[in-house]
Amino acid sequence: MNYVVAGYSIVLSILFLYGVQLAWRRRRWTRLVARVEASHAAVGDGGAGAAVDVPAE
Amino acid sequence: MTTITPDTSPTTPGAGPSTPDAEPTRSALPTSLAQSTRMVWTTRIVGLTAAVSVGFTVWLGLWVTPPDKVQGDLVRLVYIHPGVAWVALYLAFGLAAVSSLLYLWPRTRSFFWDRLAAAAVEVGVVFNICTLISGSIWGRPTWGVWWAWDARLTLTAVLLVLFLGYLALRRIPAEPEVRAKRCAFAALFAAVDIPLVHFSVDWWKTLHQGATVLNANLSPTIHGSMAWTLLLGFIALTLVFVWMLLVRYRIGVLEDFLGTGELEVAILERQAEGAGATPTAGSGDGAAEVAR
Repeated sequence: MNYVVAGYSIVLSILFLYGVQLAWRRRRWTRLVARVEASHAAVGDGGAGAAVDVPAE
Repeated sequence: MTTITPDTSPTTPGAGPSTPDAEPTRSALPTSLAQSTRMVWTTRIVGLTAAVSVGFTVWLGLWVTPPDKVQGDLVRLVYIHPGVAWVALYLAFGLAAVSSLLYLWPRTRSFFWDRLAAAAVEVGVVFNICTLISGSIWGRPTWGVWWAWDARLTLTAVLLVLFLGYLALRRIPAEPEVRAKRCAFAALFAAVDIPLVHFSVDWWKTLHQGATVLNANLSPTIHGSMAWTLLLGFIALTLVFVWMLLVRYRIGVLEDFLGTGELEVAILERQAEGAGATPTAGSGDGAAEVAR
C-alpha cells in the first residue's frame, strides 16, 4: 500500500503544483497587461489595434 | 524602430481562426480574453468540476474499490496511471499535432493554432512525467525494477524528450512566424512517436501489459466498481487537462501581447509600477511596447 500512497501523492502533488504555478503566471500576466493598458489610457494612446513600436536592438 | 501592426485575428480559444488565407500576425490586445466574464467562469467551473472529480476518484480508488485478486492493492494505481497517460499521449500531444498541422495548412493558418499547440505541449509534458513516475512506482513491486528498457516505456520516455525539445525550441528567439512554423514541424515530427507508443505492446514483446479497455475486441477486461473508478479517473484527469489548457492558453495570449523577453517584461513592470510613468520600452513617443 506504501507504493500506492506514494504514487497518488507524487502524481497529485505534481499536478497541483503545476496548477498553482499556472494560476500564478496567469495572474501576473493579467495584472501586467492591465497596468500597461491603464498607462496607455493615461497618455491617450488607444493601445489596441494601433501600430506598436518595437525598440531596435 | 520596427513596427508590428496587430491584426484582428481571434485570440480566444473558442473563436477559431479568422479568415482563410489570413497571414499569421501578432495578436491584438488580449483584453477581450483577459476580461471575458464568460471565459473566466468557464475556466472556474471546469476547474471546480475537475477538483471534485479528482477527489471522488481518489476516494473510490483508495477506500471504496476492492483489492485485485492478483495485484492486490497495487491495482489502485491503475485508476490514475492510464488516465494521465491518456491525457499526455492522446489528448495533449494529439491536440498539439493537429493544431500544428492546422497552423501549417495555409487555409487555416493562425496564431491561435500555434498558441494552442504550445499550451497543449506544456501541459502534456507534465502529464507525461506523471505517466512515467506512476508507471515506475507500479513497476517496482510488480516487475521488481523501477525501470526497464521495455518498448512502451522507452518510447514514452522518447516522447517526453521530443516534446521537451519542442519547448526548448519555442524559447529560441525568432520572429513569431518563424518560431511558429519550426515548432509546428517539430511537433509533427515528435507526434510520429504517438502511434509507436500505442501499438508497441502489440508489435513487440513487452513487459507492459496490453490494452485493457481499448483492446482489439473492444471488450474491456475490467469490470464492476473497478471499471467505473477507472472511467471516472479518465474523466477527472481530462477535466484537469482542459482547465490547465484554458489557463495556459490565456497566458500564451498575454505573453504574445507583451512579449516574453524577461528583460523587457521586467522593464515594463517597473515602468508600470512607477506613478504616472509612461510604459514604453524605449519608443519615446508613448506608443505601445510589444517587445521581441
